[in-house]
Amino acid sequence: MSDIGKVRVRLPSSIKPGDVVRVRSLVIHPMERIERDSKGKIIDKKYLYINRVVATYLGKTVAVFDTTQSVSENPTFVFSFRATDPGTLTITFHDTHGGKYEGTADVKFG
Amino acid sequence: MRDHSISRRRALAALGAIGLGASGLTLSAPRPTHAQTVGQHETVDEALKRIFGARPMKDGSGVVKLDIPLIAENGAVVPVSVDVTSPMTPANYVKTIYVVADKNRIPIAFRTTLGPEAGQAAIGATIRLGETGDVRAIVEQSDGTLLAVKREVKVTVGGCGG
Repeated sequence: MSDIGKVRVRLPSSIKPGDVVRVRSLVIHPMERIERDSKGKIIDKKYLYINRVVATYLGKTVAVFDTTQSVSENPTFVFSFRATDPGTLTITFHDTHGGKYEGTADVKFG
Repeated sequence: MRDHSISRRRALAALGAIGLGASGLTLSAPRPTHAQTVGQHETVDEALKRIFGARPMKDGSGVVKLDIPLIAENGAVVPVSVDVTSPMTPANYVKTIYVVADKNRIPIAFRTTLGPEAGQAAIGATIRLGETGDVRAIVEQSDGTLLAVKREVKVTVGGCGG
């Protein structure tokens, strides 16, 4: 579990100004599922899973995912944005235990 | 990660079997869980009523494309993507996209909030599916129109466990 919070962000290899770019991002995270005791009762505890993903580009939020435990372990998220200027795309993953994991990708034209 | 896949799958299958047996007892009594604003333990009807109330929902099959495998061999990881035909201008854009798995105990898998900057309303994620059932995408446009599409997915091994 030492890999928890590892983030990978993938952009297409060549981007032209004004293109709508599709981003793939992956985070290593257990996304704990609901556990039950032997009687089938839900064990009440603070489950560790990602509940918010925020993607920003040039200081503007382009996409927000509010997620639940119905999202898989080591989830991937795909979204698009319009690349207008060179800059940094930042994706931040927040989990229920206050963990914050960040991944960035440079938007370059060429 | 790879080396553990078989044992993990077996463990998931076992968990699923236990969980399914118990679900009948607990489904009728939804309870709040910690810090879950979007998803709660509830049936899909309760979830849709809670979020959308009595707002009319149109069939979005011409506009919304829900891409998900018809048969999911492993319910623990099911890729789903939603494409919406939309100009994505400040006057007319896709505001939110919900992905709902009817048979999951937490039916709302995730909600995506977009803005006109997105350029294209195309999103995707990997979700869990507990058992065979419908998966819906519900799209809210900037003018408040709700569009819904759904597709049935057959799940060989459930991935929601307890």
